[in-house]
Amino acid sequence: MPAEDMGKLAYRTRLLFAVSSVVFLAVLAISPFKDFRREWKQYKRSYLRFAQTRADTKKLLADYRPDIDQIWLPAMNVVDRCTTCHQGITQASLADKSVPQPFRAHPPIPHHVRDWGCTVCHRGQGPATEVAEAHESTLAWEQPILPAVFIQASCGTCHYNNLPQTPQLQRGRELLARLNCQGCHRLPGIERPAMLGPDLTNIGAKVSRAWIYKWLKEPRTILDKDGNVTVNGYETEPRMPKFRLSDPELLGLSAYLSVQTVRVLAPYKIDTRVVAAWSKNPELISQGELRFRQMFCSTCHSLAVTRAGETKLIGGDIGPELSKVGSKVNPDWLIAWLRDPQGYLPHTRMPRYGWSDEDLYKVTQYVTTKLTDSDLLASVPPLGPPTEQEIQVGRRLFLEKGCASCHSMEGLNPQKDFGPDLSAIGRKNASELEFGSANIPHNLVSYIQAKLQDPTSVNPAARMPQYNWNQSDLNAVTTALLSTKGAPATSALQNLVVPQKEAEFHPTGPFAEVYNRYKCYSCHKFNGYGGDLAPDLSYEGSRAQRQWLVDFLKNPQTLRPTLTFRMPQFNMSDKDAATLADYMTMVLQYPSANPAALDAKQFTPAMAALGKQLYEVKYQCQSCHTIGGTGGYVGPNLNNAGKWLTPAWIEAWLRDPQLLIPDTIEPRRNFTEDEVHALTAYLVTLRQDIKQQKTAAISGSRIASHEAGQ
Amino acid sequence: MKLRIWMNASLLITLGAVTGCRGHSETVKVDPLFSAYDTEADWNDVQHLIPLTYQESQGKRLFYQQCVWCHADATPAGPSNRSNLTPVPPLLNDGATLNAESDDYMQNIVTLGGAALGKSAMMPPYGRALSTDEIHSVIAFTRAIAQPPYQPSPRTPSQYSTK
Repeated sequence: MPAEDMGKLAYRTRLLFAVSSVVFLAVLAISPFKDFRREWKQYKRSYLRFAQTRADTKKLLADYRPDIDQIWLPAMNVVDRCTTCHQGITQASLADKSVPQPFRAHPPIPHHVRDWGCTVCHRGQGPATEVAEAHESTLAWEQPILPAVFIQASCGTCHYNNLPQTPQLQRGRELLARLNCQGCHRLPGIERPAMLGPDLTNIGAKVSRAWIYKWLKEPRTILDKDGNVTVNGYETEPRMPKFRLSDPELLGLSAYLSVQTVRVLAPYKIDTRVVAAWSKNPELISQGELRFRQMFCSTCHSLAVTRAGETKLIGGDIGPELSKVGSKVNPDWLIAWLRDPQGYLPHTRMPRYGWSDEDLYKVTQYVTTKLTDSDLLASVPPLGPPTEQEIQVGRRLFLEKGCASCHSMEGLNPQKDFGPDLSAIGRKNASELEFGSANIPHNLVSYIQAKLQDPTSVNPAARMPQYNWNQSDLNAVTTALLSTKGAPATSALQNLVVPQKEAEFHPTGPFAEVYNRYKCYSCHKFNGYGGDLAPDLSYEGSRAQRQWLVDFLKNPQTLRPTLTFRMPQFNMSDKDAATLADYMTMVLQYPSANPAALDAKQFTPAMAALGKQLYEVKYQCQSCHTIGGTGGYVGPNLNNAGKWLTPAWIEAWLRDPQLLIPDTIEPRRNFTEDEVHALTAYLVTLRQDIKQQKTAAISGSRIASHEAGQ
Repeated sequence: MKLRIWMNASLLITLGAVTGCRGHSETVKVDPLFSAYDTEADWNDVQHLIPLTYQESQGKRLFYQQCVWCHADATPAGPSNRSNLTPVPPLLNDGATLNAESDDYMQNIVTLGGAALGKSAMMPPYGRALSTDEIHSVIAFTRAIAQPPYQPSPRTPSQYSTK
């Protein structure tokens, strides 16, 4: 090779080296620059600058370090670097809304962030050091931050019991149970009751085939005279969802159900003298309506009422809405049902009233004449008698559609676990879910909400029926489902679980028989077991005097004038009332409020006078309680406090109301012992009976005159 | 000529190195209303939803449990007790009245009751029924729903205010 060429090559090589050195230098220089520009370092520096602008800089920077901060809790599997950027999280002075994120302090909660980490509640990726990786779902990370509106789900993953701070979670859990989700799905903590939907073994004796057809197609929708929907059927009876049935399916199911008459209905013959006396009476229907109201059927059942052009349901939702029940049920069945509901459905929540033939006749005549709609079945095609083939189709569909999961039917065994197991739905990754062709974000929250709103949106072949949700209920149920994350992965985590408190109440003896007959637990709670429409009666024996209980049971009077739902008028016999009152006074006691321990005789008129003074002037209790005709109606009316409440209960209550009833709204005051005695002395002097309400024993003519007198 | 190619190549490598790690994988955004812990419809305009922070949402819960009976015109159980009281208690969203009161004053009147501050004894003390944090959260809720909206005063707390 000539020297000239060699020189050229050397020059080129040198140039090559020079250029590549420059490139490498440039790359090397970029690396520290990139490191300097990393997201979390920028947040570190901006926190430094932010702290300088605050008055308490020194405190804010006391434990500042320029590197990554990490909460490491090996037992809980927590490696959370969130505090690298969320640096002010424990600084009380940064609590204000005006403090920019990510520096704002965590609001006060019962758990400390250093002990629990962040992702235990908020989800997201703890070890990530980039904003997007930590908060959002990326290709490599499927559990994004839990949107704040569902945060109560995280409380529910450990607290199986309901907490006062988590009303949304509690509502969601209640809805899951109320809508009978446990009929098809396995749900932790929700027991499958003895009966979900009504037992259909004898349904043919109750309703016609045409009604079944209509019900399955369009449950209980109320139209106005122009045919517009005024009350949506799925809202009035959310427990029965819509099953998207085709016409042949409707024909089959209605045929199958209409022939279910296993037990022959023995019609009850109302005394002919009663019928003769009332059937021609023009007041029959209005008297029936009056009894219907007086018995407070509306505490559990609602009726559609149109006022000022707006149709509204008035009444409770424990039992079905009854606006059109007269066009639904067989009149003979109605009489048999009212006389003994538990004879038709052993697990019904409907109490057994003590009916006189007269009342029974009036009320059933009212129901079958007034609560009707002649157009109810107008849209149903002529069905004719069910054919054997239709019945066979219906029987197959009854099992295939999942009807049998909620409705028991003698001789049919439902498929176990008809729907997917939901006991760990809250921790599912997006990749485990089928989104079908649904155009929604691929994450768990969107999936749950889409599935609840329209099951076919994510799976066209879904068997799940259609429910009707408002936004807050949808969010509540989503919260409850997100909280079910299954058993914790490690034993250390299992120790964190706060188990559900067992609610047990198994009375025995004569009380149990009366208690079951009147279904007290449909509305009242006893030791944590029962409904929550009416007061908790766990300590009723400490609270109320025996004679008052007897009088109240025989003729319930509302103590709170603003309540729309009232205790039904059961026409209770003296014996039943005495049995219930005796049991309550003996057994349902609060340990530290023993009525026998305090004798009302110790109260002097002087004490009562001081108590009146305290009540009216110093503490102004009349802002919430009524005595005489004046006062507020937040708390109960105290006109009859002396006959109603035991002095021991009044004193214990005045000292600490929340001790006796944890969620009562009466604030705990700072009374001295003398004031407690004086107030009690005053209250026991109040012995004014509420004006006597008409009782069932009073005959119809007397009611009429009474009403006229008013 | 070759030099230019090298220069271009090195530039490309540099650019690649800078941009290569910048790219984030595609992310999914959630509904913005989900980022509020709760919402409260403006009492004067139900269409207007006010997003609430965690603390305000706790205040809302306590308000609808404890305070709504006298400090609102409609309650979950029907009619309000407000009309039974003299003097008539302010509505909780009454910014014209409550915005002028400091957080400390509000904290005191809820904790100690009206009588202790020379106001109506019909306002009972809640200091033994609610914790300090709970009362704070009720005040935070009051501020959140105030109409006209609440503007925190720039004045520093006085030496008499409780800490």
